[in-house]
Amino acid sequence: MSEVVIDVSDRPIRDVHMDIQKAAAAGGNIVVINTCSRHNLAVGLPSGCHIRFEGSVGYYCGGLNTGATIEIERNAGWGCGEAMSKGHITIGGYAGMSVGAAMLGGTIHVKGDCGPRAGVAMKGGNIVVEGKIGYQSGFMAHGGKLIALGGAGSSCADALWAGEVWVTGDIADLGVDAVVTEPTAEQVAEVDAILDPLGLKDTSRDWRRIVAGQRLWYFESRDAKAWLMI
Amino acid sequence: MCGIAGRILNAPGNIGHDLVELMAAQEHRGADSTGFAVYGIPRDTGYVVRAMGFDRDRLSSDLEEFRAVLKEHGGDLLEEPTWDNGETAHYSARMVISDPKDMARWTHDADEFCARLEIQSVGRSLEIIKDTGGAHAVADKHGVRDMVGTHGLGHARLATESDVRPNASHPFWARPFPDVAIVHNGQITDYYSWRKRLELKGYRFLTYNDSELIAVWVSDRMKEGLSLEAALTRSIDEIDGVFTYMIARSDTIGWAKDRFAMKPLVVVNQNGEVAAATEEQAVRRIFKEDDVSITNFDGPSMHGIWGVGNRRAAA
Repeated sequence: MSEVVIDVSDRPIRDVHMDIQKAAAAGGNIVVINTCSRHNLAVGLPSGCHIRFEGSVGYYCGGLNTGATIEIERNAGWGCGEAMSKGHITIGGYAGMSVGAAMLGGTIHVKGDCGPRAGVAMKGGNIVVEGKIGYQSGFMAHGGKLIALGGAGSSCADALWAGEVWVTGDIADLGVDAVVTEPTAEQVAEVDAILDPLGLKDTSRDWRRIVAGQRLWYFESRDAKAWLMI
Repeated sequence: MCGIAGRILNAPGNIGHDLVELMAAQEHRGADSTGFAVYGIPRDTGYVVRAMGFDRDRLSSDLEEFRAVLKEHGGDLLEEPTWDNGETAHYSARMVISDPKDMARWTHDADEFCARLEIQSVGRSLEIIKDTGGAHAVADKHGVRDMVGTHGLGHARLATESDVRPNASHPFWARPFPDVAIVHNGQITDYYSWRKRLELKGYRFLTYNDSELIAVWVSDRMKEGLSLEAALTRSIDEIDGVFTYMIARSDTIGWAKDRFAMKPLVVVNQNGEVAAATEEQAVRRIFKEDDVSITNFDGPSMHGIWGVGNRRAAA
């Protein structure tokens, strides 16, 4: 299949976006060069296209993805894959604040570490982080799985609603209403099935599965302290 | 929102150009005002003063009176003042003065003798230039690109808490501490109570911009004996709100981030030079190589200090 090369540099981002959308509609392989960490690249891409970014990207790369396969060679800025519903995003390096915010489906694979609030308000899909997830990761997640292979920063899974945060490695401390549970063999198999296609399955892992304690689901005055996070 | 930037060169050079680049890349974060704090080659004695006047028609007489006030405080102009030739009623005047006897008393009288002129910065090397408009417009009007120096700060303002006025934009001088300037991205929620406490100690604020407070807050702590590092960490515990701020002094730039990790900071720090900004795409205007090592300080309660290694031009 032919490969389309798109140069970002200092061109207006709207023009770059039109080029990417046109190439994506044709269903080809797209390579984006000279990304210069610019924002809003590859937003709202359709399924069937494959796009690779050389270097690092800025904010909201791959946001609203509806099925595209997106590869980012190095780092991604804030909100990578925000509100995506389908598809696959691979970040070769570090993912900034709020990776996968409010995502509905699909998979985000981060090879490095994550900034704070990874998977904030996510409603479905999976985020797999080979490194450490930052402060308050999984904050108010409603669904889906945030899986960290290299530990978690402070306030982990704070105010989790109904999603799951899976961690191997050290957890600095847990957030409000986050409860650590011992996963069943079936639950571990489910996670292994997510990790297997990424080449990350390892049955010797010591998992902690963090879920909501459900104390924040309904306000009761005796729980007021739990609501006062500050 | 707002966008901030800091830059340290490894030898005196074209700092103005770099600051304009850093801010042009972040203009979308706040285009209502843009400002620069430029640290030139330091003087051994005497200060560079940047003053903002609000009535260009009375420029000559107001600067005359400014000089008279300065003389009352034991100082005088060492060079003829210069100013921008923009078409706005407000203007920025640059003056070089001999040391007044008491900095706090003199700045008080110089700010207060009329409502048409106020000091924006005083320093052996610091000059603050700020105005309404985007990075290129402000740089063109005030000749920022040609300014030579060692380090500096930049700011693009999206006003959220106070007026859009040229003097209410950033950077802010830590009145009356020479050579101290700040840029801030965020909001200080206990601004009024801190302002009141600092005013009771005799400090003066010329705007209702919450960022003006931080520069004075940190400088006051240092005056009481804290190191810069201790003052930065203390600010994270004691100042409420969301912030990433950078505070520049004659030989350092320090920074601190709030405990909720709400505001970004992206840094390249290599071979004695630093480029720091709100957005990664800004530091890439300075360091264009694809494989340059960039650090995202995204976490909560972080702080740091970068030294300015080489402040004098080679003989």
